[in-house]
Amino acid sequence: MTKQNHAKLLVIDDDAHLRESLAEVLELDGFECSLAGTAQSGLDCAAKVNPDIVIMDIQLPDSSGFQICQELRKRSKTTILIMMTGRFLSLDEKKQGFALGADDYLTKPFDIVELSARIRQMLTRRKG
Amino acid sequence: MPSTTQRGRLAYKILLWFLIISLIPMGVAGLYLINISQASLHQQILGTEKSLAQSFAETVYKYIATYRDILEESAALPQFISGNKGMEDEYLKHLMSLHVAILELSVLDASGHEMIREGRFLGPNPQLRDMESEGFFDTALARGEFIGALKRFQGIYPTVTIAVSIGTPKSGQTPAGVLAAKISLNGLSSMLSMEFPPSSETSAAVASPDGFLIAHSDPEKVYKPDARLNSEILKILTTQVADSGGGEISLSSGQGFLSAYADVNGLDWIVYVQESIQAAYHTAARMRSQILRLLVWVIIAIIVLSLAVSRHITQPLRALKDAARKVGMGQFEDFPEVLTTNDEIGDLAQAFLSMSESLKEKTGELVDTKQELERLNRTLEKRVEARTRELKAAQEELIKKERLAAIGQMASVVGHEIRNPLAVINNSIYFIKTKLAPVLSQDPKVSKHVKIIESEIQQANGIINEILTYSRQRELQPETVRLNDWLEELLSVYPFPPHIALQKIFVPSNPPVEIDLTEMQQAVRNLIGNAIEVMPEKGILGVKTFLSEASMAAIEISDTGPGIPPETLEKIFAPFFTTKARGTGLGLAVVKKVIDRHGGKVEVASVVGRGTVFRLHIPISQKVEA
Repeated sequence: MTKQNHAKLLVIDDDAHLRESLAEVLELDGFECSLAGTAQSGLDCAAKVNPDIVIMDIQLPDSSGFQICQELRKRSKTTILIMMTGRFLSLDEKKQGFALGADDYLTKPFDIVELSARIRQMLTRRKG
Repeated sequence: MPSTTQRGRLAYKILLWFLIISLIPMGVAGLYLINISQASLHQQILGTEKSLAQSFAETVYKYIATYRDILEESAALPQFISGNKGMEDEYLKHLMSLHVAILELSVLDASGHEMIREGRFLGPNPQLRDMESEGFFDTALARGEFIGALKRFQGIYPTVTIAVSIGTPKSGQTPAGVLAAKISLNGLSSMLSMEFPPSSETSAAVASPDGFLIAHSDPEKVYKPDARLNSEILKILTTQVADSGGGEISLSSGQGFLSAYADVNGLDWIVYVQESIQAAYHTAARMRSQILRLLVWVIIAIIVLSLAVSRHITQPLRALKDAARKVGMGQFEDFPEVLTTNDEIGDLAQAFLSMSESLKEKTGELVDTKQELERLNRTLEKRVEARTRELKAAQEELIKKERLAAIGQMASVVGHEIRNPLAVINNSIYFIKTKLAPVLSQDPKVSKHVKIIESEIQQANGIINEILTYSRQRELQPETVRLNDWLEELLSVYPFPPHIALQKIFVPSNPPVEIDLTEMQQAVRNLIGNAIEVMPEKGILGVKTFLSEASMAAIEISDTGPGIPPETLEKIFAPFFTTKARGTGLGLAVVKKVIDRHGGKVEVASVVGRGTVFRLHIPISQKVEA
């Protein structure tokens, strides 16, 4: 794995194992990962780190992922926002998410290779 | 029966009123009339008795007066005034021979010495008496006449002494003497007994105020010593003030009499007539009884007449009653003959007939309505039964659905919760695989186990997807496609294993269908997947389209597998039912759910040892294809 990315990445999920495993896997691909377990700490972390990419669960203990998504999109137009979910989303939910600024959706469990490829593609497009 | 006790009651009422109305006034009037007639009759009878008594009193007076006159005429004769004894005696004998009632005649001189005495039963030379001390002598000498001194001749026969003065006292001279006669009063009794025979109910008597019985209509009562008038009657008579009178008297013996009396003019005698009450009022009583008998006959006649009238009046009413009873029992034919009289009862009969006519109609309608109602009731019952059955089925369906929904919800939650650990495992195995890449390339066994983990993650994820797909509430997103074209495309990308022979028969019309592509694809894939699974070595998989019923198209997927036994066949669409070692048991449940959601139906037919056929019937789209 080359470490050419050097992109900053924030994972917000209340499941510690999930966020850690995801972060460590993505670190293998050269991403710098920050972690947060709640919406509030996620927002704080995002303000400090200013990540390129935020991967967040839709359901968080203190807030909904959509609200963080909206907040983060307000702060930055360029940050890549990816929503994670363990369940099926209805079409309306998906539409709402996109309208609030989400860039993509992931259904757990997801293929790491595919995720990594998507992120890289989006980063490339943003730079270009 | 109560009807018998009621029958004729009206007739008797009418009768009773007839009687009350007619008889009471008549009875009152009748009794009043009887009383009036009785009173007047009594008055009349009493009047008759009074006049009898008065007339007899006159007779008595005349009787006595006759003898007095004779004596007075004799005393005025010259021989008496001159005192010629021989001629006097001769004349007295002559008088005696003329008048039988004269018992004795005497001529007294002015000093009271009896000068001549002639007697019917005295013999040729009777003893001469001195009469100066006798009361009658002084009276006759002083006043000219005397009537009185009642005695009984021979102790039995009543006599009266009449004495007149010889020579008139007008001249102021002293009379020369007195002519006295003893007169038998038997003639009075004879007259009375002729007038009132002893056998009759009427008797009459003449008495002096001291009770001396002078005469009586019954000779036995008077010709005896000391014959006296009944003292009670005498007492009543002597206390009367009027000269004459009468009335009813009752004696202490219990006898009642209608009696009348009259004083004899110039004498102090009393004539008394009496008749027993029964005899006196006999006529009146007979008249009363006749009137009463007449009254009874009238009453009987009125009763009979009013009975007849009331029966006549009530006959139509009774006929109406019979008719009404028949109507009450629901019979509208064969009414008894009702007299159609030209009065209120006739009107009533007419009204009754029209009423029963309308009642008959109404009853008919009622019966029809009742039958209709019963019929409707039966229909309603049937409908209710049918509805109940439907409801029960719906209820069962609902319970089933609720159960399925509950299962789905649980499956969704479980699936969702399992996805997180799966994601973590997936991440971790990726990490290990990446980190241990050199080791893995050297140790094939470790590499194999990593692959097993990855594969199982895939499978677990597949199961979860299946469950979530079945249980999620998703809106259909139908699209209109040509059935054959859509199916052809699906088959073209399906990875059929090489041992399966695919046999396609498509209907030429290639009907358009409106389907949710994702779900319908899932259903068909499930069926193809099952078919392949039951034919692990070789077999023919048939895919066919045809027009099943009106406006329905069908997809048929058949295999040549072992078939499904009948007892299993009925459960295969139930969720979580499976015969496989691995499987959720949701494949066919999803098929059924999807087809149901499209308004179609699933059929299955299977022969053990020959294979199974599934037919999915779905509606043909009526929309023109875009």
